[in-house]
Amino acid sequence: MGSSNKVFNVAVFFVVFRECLEAVVIVSVLLSFLKQSIGSQDMAVYKRLRLQVWVGVAAGLVICLAIGGGFIGAYYALDNDIFGSAEDLWEGIFCMIATVMISVMGIAMLRVNKMQAKWRVKIARALVEIPERKRDRFKIGALSRRYAMFLLPFITVLREGLEAVVFVAGAGITTQGSSATAYPLPVVVGLIAGSAVGFVIYYGTSQSSLQVFLVVSTCILYLISAGLFSRGAWYFENYRFNKATGGDASESGDGNGSYNIRKAVYHVNCCNPELDNGWDIFNALLGWQNTGYLSSMLCYNIYWLVLMIVLFLMMFEEKRGHLPFCRSLTLRQLSPSYWIKNKKKNELTARQRHELFEKVEQLEFNDQGMINEQRRVEASS
Amino acid sequence: MPSLPRMAFGALAALAALSPAVAADTKVFNWTTGWGNYDADGMLERPVITCNGQFPWPDVRVNKGDTVLIYLTNGFNDRNTSLHLHGLFQRGTNQMDGPPGVTQCPIGPGDTFLYNFTVDSNVGTYWYHSHTAGQYQDGFRGVFIIEDDAFPYHYDYDIPLQIGEWYHDTTDVLIPTFMNLYNPTGAEPIPQNFILNSTRNLTWNVEPDKTYLLRLVNTGGFVSQYFWIEDHNMTVVEVDGVYTEQNTTDMIYITTAQRYSVLVHTKNDTSRNFAIMNKVDDTMLDVVPSDLELNSTSYMVYNSSAALPKQNIVQELEFLDDFYLVPYEKQEVLPEPDYTITVDVMMDNLISGVNYAFFNNLTWTSPKVPTLLTVLSAGENATDASIYGSNVNAFVLEKDEVIELVLNNRDTGTHPFHLHGHTFQALVRDREYNADLGEQVHLYNSSDHPAFPEYPMIRDTLYVRPQSNFVIRFKADNPGVWFFHCHIEWHLLQGLAIVLIEDPLGIQQNASQALSDNHRKCCQNLGVPIEGNAAGNSADFFDLAGENVQEKSIPPGFTKKGIVAMFFSCLAGVLGLVTIGVYGLMGMNNAEERVMADFDISPDEVLQEASRDDDNTNHSSVEKEVALETVETKH
Repeated sequence: MGSSNKVFNVAVFFVVFRECLEAVVIVSVLLSFLKQSIGSQDMAVYKRLRLQVWVGVAAGLVICLAIGGGFIGAYYALDNDIFGSAEDLWEGIFCMIATVMISVMGIAMLRVNKMQAKWRVKIARALVEIPERKRDRFKIGALSRRYAMFLLPFITVLREGLEAVVFVAGAGITTQGSSATAYPLPVVVGLIAGSAVGFVIYYGTSQSSLQVFLVVSTCILYLISAGLFSRGAWYFENYRFNKATGGDASESGDGNGSYNIRKAVYHVNCCNPELDNGWDIFNALLGWQNTGYLSSMLCYNIYWLVLMIVLFLMMFEEKRGHLPFCRSLTLRQLSPSYWIKNKKKNELTARQRHELFEKVEQLEFNDQGMINEQRRVEASS
Repeated sequence: MPSLPRMAFGALAALAALSPAVAADTKVFNWTTGWGNYDADGMLERPVITCNGQFPWPDVRVNKGDTVLIYLTNGFNDRNTSLHLHGLFQRGTNQMDGPPGVTQCPIGPGDTFLYNFTVDSNVGTYWYHSHTAGQYQDGFRGVFIIEDDAFPYHYDYDIPLQIGEWYHDTTDVLIPTFMNLYNPTGAEPIPQNFILNSTRNLTWNVEPDKTYLLRLVNTGGFVSQYFWIEDHNMTVVEVDGVYTEQNTTDMIYITTAQRYSVLVHTKNDTSRNFAIMNKVDDTMLDVVPSDLELNSTSYMVYNSSAALPKQNIVQELEFLDDFYLVPYEKQEVLPEPDYTITVDVMMDNLISGVNYAFFNNLTWTSPKVPTLLTVLSAGENATDASIYGSNVNAFVLEKDEVIELVLNNRDTGTHPFHLHGHTFQALVRDREYNADLGEQVHLYNSSDHPAFPEYPMIRDTLYVRPQSNFVIRFKADNPGVWFFHCHIEWHLLQGLAIVLIEDPLGIQQNASQALSDNHRKCCQNLGVPIEGNAAGNSADFFDLAGENVQEKSIPPGFTKKGIVAMFFSCLAGVLGLVTIGVYGLMGMNNAEERVMADFDISPDEVLQEASRDDDNTNHSSVEKEVALETVETKH
């Protein structure tokens, strides 16, 4: 690595770029989604949700800088690596959390956009509305629904930011002859490069048709998510190995002994996302590791398998109204919370359905009026 | 066994210089191994290997020309043993050399092996130890001194001093955790203390104005140590049984298995006492625990009523470079070699994940028939190195050839290498590699190397610097099977050894080399074949089927398994993406209802929302205007 370079530490650039990229992809997909599905219908709700995203990003940044600063401070002042041996454990946990969030979010995004535009707005409004009954306001379910657009960017930025801070600090310690002056520039350039990719995604996708955009961006999200799930398993495996070896393994680079050979399905002595510049981008987007552990490979495949099964079931149910082979069973009923929280009550009765239908008719009228207005404006301009 | 009281150093002194010349004699020793407990460092009593129930093992003194009979009885009930006399040439008695699998069958529980040899070609300071995995680190070791009337320097007293490291665990505990998947870097176990003569804070009572011959022997199994005495210098007169020209220094650096005899002249003044220091070369330790005392202090006592000295701290470790010592009997560099053996040292993991040590990618693996026994049974075939097995790293040397051994150390550690059956000339011990020159490792280059010394230093154990090289020469004038290995016991366990088979036909022709009946019996008791090639095949010496071999190497890249896993992962990803695409583009009946259910929104909420829309037409029209603007800009 360009150890003699006093201005630009290449390792730092790649770390920042990689971490930035992952966060930026998720954030820009969300923003683009909001703009396409709600922004053209209801500005107020759109703005409110967009604000949530940005507040999530900002909050994630501030907290990760604070915690990261604390880590680095503790490292240099107390000579105490707080993250230390538990680093892989944390990484793994973060990965798993992110996987769950992205997975849930992805399907919801696809389904939301199968509704007619006016319904999207109605539901979005209902979502962001504070429940009238006070006791409902602080229910976790209600909160996470209302602030979903805050939570995902928040967790993502926090995770990536922490990783970046720890890795940058780590790169500074491990890169031979690294000099403090070689830090600021690659960090800034890395952030700019990452953000640039985000802008391209955002503007590229917000120009395309909603459906195509959604399918493409959901695909990207699930690629990341499958990678995260696999990486989570990888981190847990690595954590166990490092713990058993006393942290020796991570010091020895790519070679033999740097991984648990007995659990590896494959290993290549190169292309290490943590050491070799460039490969970390494959790591961020596709979950690449130069060691494939049995668990991480299985997790990757199982993730896709489960996702496909769920999607097939959903397709079946959406067409036929029930799951295959079980006429009275729907996917929702498979969830334990359906029974625990007695969600059955939320299912529409015939009366409600009728009432809704009428309301829709009214809405149709209102919306029709709006479109008419639109036409008028267009005509006059 | 109760631990013995700390032995005062002076008690071991023998008045060697005053002893009259004695005629060649036969010295007989009966030793039985066993287990006892001993507390060497005042911190913990631990199991040790005892000699006839005693610990430490006795220091032995014999005279040049003596015949030595050591009856070693294996008193263990669960393990084999062996005995090596380190540095002795064993001319004509190769089977008495000791390493199991090389020159002898192991000695099984209850068996007695007679080590029967004459010390006619060695003088000076030697030592003995078990050559069976890890046993000498559990205490099976002692000093072996061959006195010589022709010793070239004057001294008053002769004091042997063992230096080494001390573990609180036995090798039964340490080896399985060392040779382990979870020790992938091959990090050697860290000792708990660094000791002198099996104790710490030793007291050496000295008389003023006397010359002491201090025989310093590193009987440890791992670290090199620095040794110095406060305010006293030391004159080196012997290394590894080779007398040298006097060379005075303040500090000795001694690796495992090396010996330095130094003359120390005591002061006239008895008013105060001085610190004797031994300090570990901590660059050899994988980690330095915070509670590990790197400096150990012992006491050179002139005056027992005066205070004991504090530890002596030096600013720099300026020690004698043994490479520049000159033997007392000067010998010019041996002529150009007839045979050059080049070996590269490496450490790596094999398929089990355990870290091994390699010479030229081979880790020494014990053959089914000890190599000497193969030599003795192979007839004409004995000159073909292949019969000794593919994993023994055997080299066949012809009689009286000049052998040059070039050792390139690709490892990042310092290693002391020991050749059995010979002393050798040290022609090159190169500098460490230089990262600034872009070197990864500094290999030996026969056309560009440091000049050979005029009269090279001669010894039997020489260290090589990290990622550097050394070159040694010797004359193959001692027919026998000789082990060449790293004397860090951990590394020998990892297989860092080669076997030199010197004049195999000469071995067969010499009657004194024939297998003793006692040896034969030890083999039979353990079921070790006494004939045949490395695989135990005596019908066809070139058929090595069934020989012991090292584990498989770790494949360098993708294996079948990996490709299959990768293929399925890619397939899963592609199918998953296609499924998302299909689902995403598919229409959905009752989408609204389902999404509401997804978000756990009660229909009432949406109904309220919808009716609110009806009521607040004014309010919503404001929003609509904003929406209009965005629509406009799009066009």
